[in-house]
Amino acid sequence: MNWESWIIETVSRALIYGTPMLLGTLGEIYAERSGVLNLGVEGMMLVGALTGFAVAMRTGHPWLGVLVAGCVGAVFSVIHAFASITLRANQVVSGLALTFLGMGLSGVIGRAYEGLPLWSKLGKVSIPLLEKIPILGPAVFQGQYPLTYIAIGLAILMWFVLYKTRIGISIRAVGEDPATADSLGINVSRVRYLCVMVGGFLAGVAGAYWSVAYRTAWSGGMTAGLGWIVIALTIFAFWNPLWALGGAFFFAAMRVLSFRLQAWLPPELLNAMPYILAIVVLIVVSRGTLQKQMGAPSALSLPYTRGED
Amino acid sequence: MNKRVLLAAVLVVALAGAAFAAYEPGDDMTVGFIFVGPIGDYGWTYAHNEGRLAVDALPFASTVYVESVAEGQEGPVIDDLIAVHGCDIVFTTSFGFMDGTLDSALRHTDVIFGHASGFKRAPNMMTFMGDFYQVYYLNGLVAGALTKTDKVAYVGAFPIPEVKRHMNAYAMGVKAANPDAEMHVKWIYSWYDPGAATEATEALIADGCDVFAFTEDSPTVVTVAAENDLLSFGHYGSQMYQFAPNHVISGQAIDWGSIYVDFLQKVYDGVYTAQNIQNVDYWWLMSQGAVYPEAAPGVTLNPLFIDELKAYMIDDPVFGMISAFDLHNLRLAQFSNPGVTFDPFQGPISDRNGNIVVPAGMWLSVDSLITMEWAFENVVGAWPGEPE
Repeated sequence: MNWESWIIETVSRALIYGTPMLLGTLGEIYAERSGVLNLGVEGMMLVGALTGFAVAMRTGHPWLGVLVAGCVGAVFSVIHAFASITLRANQVVSGLALTFLGMGLSGVIGRAYEGLPLWSKLGKVSIPLLEKIPILGPAVFQGQYPLTYIAIGLAILMWFVLYKTRIGISIRAVGEDPATADSLGINVSRVRYLCVMVGGFLAGVAGAYWSVAYRTAWSGGMTAGLGWIVIALTIFAFWNPLWALGGAFFFAAMRVLSFRLQAWLPPELLNAMPYILAIVVLIVVSRGTLQKQMGAPSALSLPYTRGED
Repeated sequence: MNKRVLLAAVLVVALAGAAFAAYEPGDDMTVGFIFVGPIGDYGWTYAHNEGRLAVDALPFASTVYVESVAEGQEGPVIDDLIAVHGCDIVFTTSFGFMDGTLDSALRHTDVIFGHASGFKRAPNMMTFMGDFYQVYYLNGLVAGALTKTDKVAYVGAFPIPEVKRHMNAYAMGVKAANPDAEMHVKWIYSWYDPGAATEATEALIADGCDVFAFTEDSPTVVTVAAENDLLSFGHYGSQMYQFAPNHVISGQAIDWGSIYVDFLQKVYDGVYTAQNIQNVDYWWLMSQGAVYPEAAPGVTLNPLFIDELKAYMIDDPVFGMISAFDLHNLRLAQFSNPGVTFDPFQGPISDRNGNIVVPAGMWLSVDSLITMEWAFENVVGAWPGEPE
């Protein structure tokens, strides 16, 4: 059991396991940055997983399944957007309702698809030259799903957009102080709707990854709490897409390691390890000067009405 | 109190009495089922649902079911099944429902309860189980013969006696065929978690294992092993064979319907009532036809592996040189015979710490089987709750 193969195995599995977490977190970051708390991630993921599986099975094109799953996730999230932005309902309740709706719908409609094998699944790829690099090559560039690289690219892109472009400034302004943003001519409603839909799209894609690539089957509730981890990871990443990269893969690495290390450490402890480490990191990072810059968007989960204080 | 109120009160009481009237032998019965997972899991709950369908086929019974009930949440669901659906009998199908079922049984003394895989009973609550340990022994025999790396693997759910019993039986089968082989174990702390099962299987593959058995309610381990061209045993029925027809050697299959139908027939005939089932404990094994090894429907061993099994010779202390194929079928015949002549847990057996857990000349009682905590000699890996 040399340390080389350990590192390669762990990093490789962490990338595979962490991709849906990263995708979901990126989407939720945008939603929350615009001020809308969307607790419906689990429901959107399940709907996306079912859609992706069903479309991939019927059309034989897994990528089409992923795309349609994203669109369905976005449409699904409009329910929450309508309730929380236009109707100004309580966002926690609306998000949770979305979760249960997604779980129930996917369970009922998915019954016809349970237990069916998927032959047209997303395959793994290896990048030709880069995979020859010692240690880093097999760990990162060999036997990964293309969605993993897309997710990493998305994280960088979304970070850039959020911090370096006017669109990003609009989003952050809407999330921090919607009244001021409104007075500057930014359409608060539209920005929030779009961000929630981005969140829904990415949650749907994350769910599709789970059922079309990672575990090519569908069964009711198969994401098994992944949506809740995403919500926690959003906070863990301090609403920064780049930090989401680190957070998602760190968490995934801990989860993967918890199985490798079972021979030496008590399994119960290892099971809790990812969550304990997440708390430890949060405590360490929240202290000191970092705390000034990190923090939830000020208007998170507060509905905005023009003319109200 | 005027007459109208009195009449209404009498009606309510009468109706309530009618709603909760106890089941009479010979009447048609409504049977409720509480499942811990989705029917489509192709595992534990799927098998129970097949049993429910067997009950539905009975002329005197109709069924109602609720799936994906979390353990601990069964109380209100049971109340609903009784009050709204008029269930005369309720089956709860997971170990974690034990206390809730007992609680409900003591509150609804006219309703008959059956709890799967538990050990608490009441005058109106019986327990039932179709246990796989003989089947796991047979699977282990074959695994020990087919492993090329001398490392077989088991992905376990929770470290409870039921799972440990199955693991130990599997490990003993492995040892009988291959004294050099190790059995590596990983725990995922869930009955149903495809993600955890995937990562546990990948970890075992990284450890060098090449034959996989598991306790998890999805075909995940089978498919992950097959993706890496490794062999496995299907769990809870042969539906898992379709996911990897070239890699599933055999598996554990169960016919819950045999137990359900036997019990309900006795209720219908008035043999079992809501007062006399305190000591009714179905502990059904291969000889009652409740469990059996199966690769695909009607196929015990995958034909792809039969030649290899016939060529693998085992030096058995009782039978001499015998092929793995013949030993497997011999043990299968022994298990299927109601006059039991062999049990995997017959002494002498030592656990991996060197303690003698079954002395020579003795077998394990059902009580010892359902409270098992030790690990067999060739088990490698964490084993929470292991005695010193």
